Amino acid sequence: MTNLTILVVDDDPVIRRLLEQRLIKENYQVLLAEDGYVGNDILSGNHVDVVLTDLMMPGDIGGIEVLEFAKNLERNIEVILITAHSSVDTAVEAMKKGASDYLEKPINFTELFLRLEKISTMRSLLRSAEDLRQAMDVTESTAAETIQNLEVTAAALQNKLDLIETVLTTDSLASEDKIFDAMDILQAID
Amino acid sequence: MLKITPAELKNIAQYIHDISGIYLDQSKSYLFETRLSSIAEELGCTSYQALHDKAKRDPGKLIERQIIDAISTNETLFFRDNGPFELLKHKILPEVIDLRAPSSPRLKTNVKIWSAASSTGQELYSVAMTIKDLIGTKTDNFNFKLLGTDISDSAVKQASYGKYNKFEIERGLPRPTLQKHFTLFGDSWKVKDELRGMVNFRKLNLMLPFSGLGKFDIILCRNVAIYFTLADRKKLFNKLADSLADDGYLIIGSTESLTGICPRFVPKRHLRAIFYQKKN
Repeated sequence: MTNLTILVVDDDPVIRRLLEQRLIKENYQVLLAEDGYVGNDILSGNHVDVVLTDLMMPGDIGGIEVLEFAKNLERNIEVILITAHSSVDTAVEAMKKGASDYLEKPINFTELFLRLEKISTMRSLLRSAEDLRQAMDVTESTAAETIQNLEVTAAALQNKLDLIETVLTTDSLASEDKIFDAMDILQAID
Repeated sequence: MLKITPAELKNIAQYIHDISGIYLDQSKSYLFETRLSSIAEELGCTSYQALHDKAKRDPGKLIERQIIDAISTNETLFFRDNGPFELLKHKILPEVIDLRAPSSPRLKTNVKIWSAASSTGQELYSVAMTIKDLIGTKTDNFNFKLLGTDISDSAVKQASYGKYNKFEIERGLPRPTLQKHFTLFGDSWKVKDELRGMVNFRKLNLMLPFSGLGKFDIILCRNVAIYFTLADRKKLFNKLADSLADDGYLIIGSTESLTGICPRFVPKRHLRAIFYQKKN
């Protein structure tokens, strides 16, 4: 079940086309952008799980800027950078800014699919952890309400018992008075 | 994964109880296996008995510490369960501030707060943030001393360092709070110095005597006694009563109860939460 939505940002039409075909074949949803400007526009208006962006693109918005824009928009978005071998250092720098990974050109598709598979697994694990946590929260708050009510009731009853014990052990009271007083305590509404 | 035998289960469960007070249900053998198998393998032990023997013979108690780290549950998050923090903000802290206010503006009083099973620190830092947000800079007359203790060395270490990754941060911390009290540190977030300065963390086994801790105004002991036997729970809350000021406040986990455990405490309700005070 691979239904991640992937945004491909690359100025090279051949690479865009190639990525689109291969990703669709693997059942991913694909969005395409020919530069960083269009990429950021698409990010603003669509749900995207993974951004696959070229590091070097013409114009002011390169891969790093797309990465920053995406992370700022949605912290959970995963960004994979595509780099030429010569710019590996920049890619490593980008990892520090929150990129999930980088791929060197020419793109090795086996490697790319492996990474996407990992992201997909990670996402579903996170989702089930979140589901479990929510289920636990509901159980916990329901149980808390019941337990806290019982706790207060038990303490009130204990208090009554203590008072009754005091009354019953008061030597100065006549037996009849002890019973009346004890009944009063029992019937008192908290 | 290395399988555990019934005999090993019995011995290891007893051993874990001895070193930590944690009582693990022996019917849940997978719990032992998932948490201890990697330690056993790492140390080249071919059975849990071998791990047990090795741990007992280890003079530096390094293996014991590893076992405690693995077995203790560090499930925690910032502002876990809103109730106690609302309680602190609207009821307990204002009351403590009134009660402890120094007679002269030139004097300073200590307000001591203890998180008795602080895990990786999120609870105590949440308390510190609640104090900061409530009284801001007017803390001049008060010296808030927040102590966090935990049995796990690695949990204490992380708490002291005050650094949290994005997964830990995303759970429970609203953005404005995050930006106010934390600074970005690489891919993680670090607690700001002024918050870090309010807290202290150290290792403590709740089964041992609480020597030298003194009395506290507020104690939080949430979701740790659930791992202890009834007898150990009674001992624990009795010791906590000894460590609490006569007009102090105790907060336990939202699904925990002290009925039949410690008659020295009375439950009191405020809004949708409960706290305990000592019976006078």
